[in-house]
Amino acid sequence: MSLFVQQVILGLMLGGVYVAVAIGFSLVWGVLNIVNLAHGALVVVGMYATWFLFTHAGIDPFLTLPLDAVVLFAIGYLVQRGLINRVIRAPLFFTLLLTFGINLVLINLFLLWFKADFRSVTTSYSGAGLNVGAVTIPYIRLAALVIAMLLAGAVGFFMNRTRTGFAIQAVGADKDAAQLVGIDLRHVYALTFAVGAACAGVAGGLLSTVQAISPTAGEPYTLQAFVVVILGGLGRVSATVVGGLLFGLIEVLAQSQVPGLGAGWSNAIAFAVLVLVLVLRPQGLLGRLA
Amino acid sequence: MSEAAFSTQPSRTGRRIRRAILIAFLLVVVVVLVLPLTLTQQAADANLDPTTLGIDFAINKSIVRTETTIAMFVALAAAWNLIGGLTGYAAFGNVAFFGLGAYTVGFLTDKQHLSFALALPLAPLVAAAFAGLIGVPLLRLRGHYFAIATLGTGVAVGEVIKNLDVFGGATGLFPPILRHADALFFYLMAANAGLAVVVTWLVMRSRFGYGLIAIRENEEAASVLGVNTTAYKVGAFALAAALTGLAGGIFAQWSSFIDQESVFPIQYNVQMILMAIIGGAGTLFGPVAGAIVLEWLILSLAGGGASAVYAQMGLGVLLAVTVIFVPRGVVDFFGGSSKLSLGYFRRSLRETSV
Amino acid sequence: MGGRIRGLMSGIAALSVLVACGGATGGGTTTTTGADIILGAPLSLTGSSSKEGGLAKQGYDMWQTWVNQQGGINVKGVKHKVQIKYADDQSKPDISAQLTQSLITDQKVQFLLGPYGSGPTASDAVIAEKNSIPMVEGNGAAQAIFSKGYKYTFGVLSPANKYLQGVIDLAATLNPKPSTIAMLAADDSFSQEVAAAVNDYAPGKGFSVVYNQKYPNGSTDVSSLVAAAKAKNPDILLNSGHLAEAIAINKAAKDLQLNAKLFAYSVGPSTPDFVNALGKDSYYVMDGSQWTPQVKYKPTFYLSVADYTAAYKSTFNTQEDPDYHVAESTAACLALQKAIENAGTVTNTDKVRDALAGLDVMTFFGEIKFDNRGVNVTKPMVVEQIQTDGKHHTVFPSDVADKQVQYPTPPWSQR
Repeated sequence: MSLFVQQVILGLMLGGVYVAVAIGFSLVWGVLNIVNLAHGALVVVGMYATWFLFTHAGIDPFLTLPLDAVVLFAIGYLVQRGLINRVIRAPLFFTLLLTFGINLVLINLFLLWFKADFRSVTTSYSGAGLNVGAVTIPYIRLAALVIAMLLAGAVGFFMNRTRTGFAIQAVGADKDAAQLVGIDLRHVYALTFAVGAACAGVAGGLLSTVQAISPTAGEPYTLQAFVVVILGGLGRVSATVVGGLLFGLIEVLAQSQVPGLGAGWSNAIAFAVLVLVLVLRPQGLLGRLA
Repeated sequence: MSEAAFSTQPSRTGRRIRRAILIAFLLVVVVVLVLPLTLTQQAADANLDPTTLGIDFAINKSIVRTETTIAMFVALAAAWNLIGGLTGYAAFGNVAFFGLGAYTVGFLTDKQHLSFALALPLAPLVAAAFAGLIGVPLLRLRGHYFAIATLGTGVAVGEVIKNLDVFGGATGLFPPILRHADALFFYLMAANAGLAVVVTWLVMRSRFGYGLIAIRENEEAASVLGVNTTAYKVGAFALAAALTGLAGGIFAQWSSFIDQESVFPIQYNVQMILMAIIGGAGTLFGPVAGAIVLEWLILSLAGGGASAVYAQMGLGVLLAVTVIFVPRGVVDFFGGSSKLSLGYFRRSLRETSV
Repeated sequence: MGGRIRGLMSGIAALSVLVACGGATGGGTTTTTGADIILGAPLSLTGSSSKEGGLAKQGYDMWQTWVNQQGGINVKGVKHKVQIKYADDQSKPDISAQLTQSLITDQKVQFLLGPYGSGPTASDAVIAEKNSIPMVEGNGAAQAIFSKGYKYTFGVLSPANKYLQGVIDLAATLNPKPSTIAMLAADDSFSQEVAAAVNDYAPGKGFSVVYNQKYPNGSTDVSSLVAAAKAKNPDILLNSGHLAEAIAINKAAKDLQLNAKLFAYSVGPSTPDFVNALGKDSYYVMDGSQWTPQVKYKPTFYLSVADYTAAYKSTFNTQEDPDYHVAESTAACLALQKAIENAGTVTNTDKVRDALAGLDVMTFFGEIKFDNRGVNVTKPMVVEQIQTDGKHHTVFPSDVADKQVQYPTPPWSQR
C-alpha cells in the first residue's frame, strides 16, 4: 500500500513538472493557434540560464527563476515579432515547420556553446526529504510542484483579471475584430509568445534541479506538452493543470501497476493516450475545440 | 492556400528558359540512370576508378550510394505530396510507414528466412493496411490536430516495435547481406521514385485527384458536391503509405541492419515535408526537385566535423526562410506563373504575415 | 577545458614529439619507407555522442603518434607511416554507413577502425563485409553484431554480457554477503545484453534478482522505478545504461532514500562527468570497466600501462587518467598493427583478416585473442569504485586491485 502511495506522490510531482512545461505551450496554442515545436528548446534555455547563474554566481536555483522568466520573455518576444509573425496567415503546418526550424537552430547552438556534456545543479539540500512512514517526499520536487501551481495561478490571474490579458483573449477569439477595436496585433502576438516563453524558462529552472542538463534535454518535453494539452484541453489554465497532473499519474501508475507493462512502454503509452483522446474527445477533458 | 492574386503570364523568353531547364534536367536524369550499369562487378570489388576502364564518367560505389539515398527521398517526398500537397492534410508521421515497410522486410528475411524478392511486395501492403486502419479515425481531425496525431502515431509505432522481442527488440534485425548489388538497389529505389511520380501524375489527371484537390480547397463544399471525402482521404493516405513502405522495405535489405532508431527517425518526417514544400507542394515535379537538391546538400555536408552542427543549423534556417519567403516552392518559377523577383518575395511575405 | 583547446594542445604536443624524433632518425637500421597506410575511422565528432567519440579519437591519435614516431608499421622490413582519415557520423547508423563507403571508395582507406556505438558499428560492419575490408573496433559491445557470421569485423573489447559479471563476482566475496539485486536497464541493445547476462549469472552465485525493469533509453525521470525497487529492499542496485541515466538513478536513489549496500552502474561512473555532476553523492559507486590504469598486464609491444597513462596525461595536458574508452580504441589499433605485421602485407586485405582471426597478443589493455565470431573473450572486465577520496580505484579482481573495496555503502542520511 505504501508503495502505491509513493507512486501516487511521485506521479503528482511528475505532473507538476508537466504542468510547468505545458502552461506556456498551451497559452501559445490556445490563443495564437501556434504549436511551438521549439518549446522544449526554450525550456533548455531556462535550464542553462539557471545552471549558469548557480555555478558562476552562486545563486540558489529557485531564486534564479524570475531571471529565467525575464530572459526568456525577451527571447520569445523577438522570435515571435521577427519570425513567427510572418507566417501567421499561412497554412497551419507552416508554423510547425518554422518552429521546428527554430528548434534545430537552438539545439545546435547549445551543442556549439555547451558541447554535449551533462551538467547538473546540485544544491546542498538536494536529496533531503520528508519521511512519512515508508513514503519519502523529496523537498525539491515538492517545491517544484508548488511553484508550478503558483505559476499556473499567476498566468490564470494575468489572463482573466488584467487588461492585457483581456486583449490577448480578444485576439485569440477573433483577431480581425480585435484589430478593429484598436489592438495592435503584432505586439499582442509577440507578447503572448513572450509570456509562453517566460513560463518555459521558469519550467527549465525548476527542471534543472531534478535532472541533468544537456542540449537535447528538452525534446521529450515538447512531445509531452502535446499530450498534456490534448488531454486537458485548450483555452483554460485549469485544463492544463488537470491534464498535467493526470498525465503524470497515468505515466507513473501505468508503469508500476500494470503487470507486464514496464517503463519501456512509457513513450508508447503517452502516445496511445494522445491518439485516443484526439480521436474520441478532441477537445480534451476540460477544454474547448480550438 | 488561396490562389495568388499576383500571378503573371510567362513571357516567350520565360517559356524558352523553362524548356531549356526541363531538357537539361531530363538529360541529367538519363545519365544518372544509365551510369550505374557501368559499375561492373570487378570494378566495384576492386574499387577501381572507371577511368582505367576507359570510361570517363565518375561512377563508383560511393556515388551510387548517394544516388540511391537521393532516390529514396524523392520517393518519400513524392509520396507525402499525395496526402500533404494534393489533399492538404499535412501528415507529420509518414516515417511510421517507412519503418513498417522496413520491419516487414527485415522480419521476413531475418527471422523467417524468406527471400528478399518474396518479402518486398509485402512491405507496401503492410504499410497501406496500417494506413487504412488508422486513417479512418485520424482523418476525421483537421489542421494541427491531424498533424500532431500523425506525429504521435509515428513515434508510437516505433516505440511499440522496439518493445517487441519478436521483431528483434532493441537489437534490431539483420537481413542477410546481398553482395554485388549496389546497382540493383539503386534501380529499385529509382523505380520506386519513378512509380511515385507516375502515380502522382495519374492521380492528378483522374477524378480521384480532382476530388482530393477539392477536399484541400474546401472540404465541406466537396462533400456537398458528392465527393466521398472519407474514402478519398483514406485512399490518398494509403497510397502515400504504400509508396513510403516500399522505400522502407528496399532500405532494410540495402543496409542489412535496421533498428527502431534507424528506420523511425523523426527527422525524416520534417525532411520529406520540407523537400515537398521547397520544391512546391501539390505539384508534380516539386517534391522531386526539392528532394534532389536538399538531400544532395545534406549528404555533401555530412562527415565534415564541426560542419555537421552548422549543417543542422543551416537546415533550420532553410526551413525558416522557405516557409517565410518561398511558401509555394521553387517550381513556382519553373512552370508556375510567377517570376523570380524581389517583388515576389515581398508579396509572399505580405500574404502570410500578421 | 573546451574540446577545441584540448585538440589544439594535443596537436601541438603530437607535432612537437614528431619534430623532436624527426631529427633523430636516419641512422642505424636499413629499413626503407613504403607508402603510407591509410585507415578510415567514422566517429561521432559532433552531436550527442561527441564526448565518447572524442575519447575514441584520443585513443586512435595516441597510437598513431607513437607508431609514426617509430617510423611506421613494419611490413617485412619496409616501414609504412599511418594516416587516419576521420569522418563525423554523429553516431547515426545510416550516415555512418554512407561515410564508411565514402572512406573506402573516395578516400581509398585500406582498413577501418570502428565507430562509437553499437548501432553505427552494426551498419558499418555490413559495409566492411560488402567491401571485404577488415574493421577492428573497440567501442561497440553489443554481441548481436557478431552473431551474423560476419568475417571482417573484430571487437577488442569484452562483450556486453561481461560488463557487470565482475561486480557480481566481487559481491560474492563480500562480508556480510548481499543477497538481493535490483536490476534497472535502458532499452537499447547493449544495455539489454548486460542486464540479460546479470539475470542469467547472478542466481548461480547465490543472488536473487528481486526487481528487473527496463526504461526508455535517455530517460531523465526514473524515480518511480527507483521507488518500486526500493520497496523490494535490494542489497545491490545495478544499472545498465548510459551516463545520463546513471546520474538520474543515483539522484533518485538519494531523493527516495534507497539505501542499498552496493551501487554499480555499467557505464557512467568511469567518466569525470559523473563525479563532477554528483560530487559527494558519487562516492561508493562502482562500475564494470574494460580497463583501468591499475591493471598489471605486461605487454609484448607498445607502451606499458604506466607509460600509457603518463603519455596520455602529457599529450592531452590533463591530470585525469585515461578513461577506458581511450584505452580500448588504442587497443583496436594495436590489434590491427600486429595483424598487418604478422600477415606481412598491406594490400592483401584477406591475409590481414586471417591474421586478425589468428591473433593472440598481450597488450597494456589485456590479452587480445578473437574467437570465431570476432569477439575478444579472453580479456576480463575489472571493477572500479569511486572512493571517498573522490578518486577512482580498482577493487577487483584482487590481483589488479589497488585498494580494498569500500563496503557496505553507508545510508544516505549518514553521509
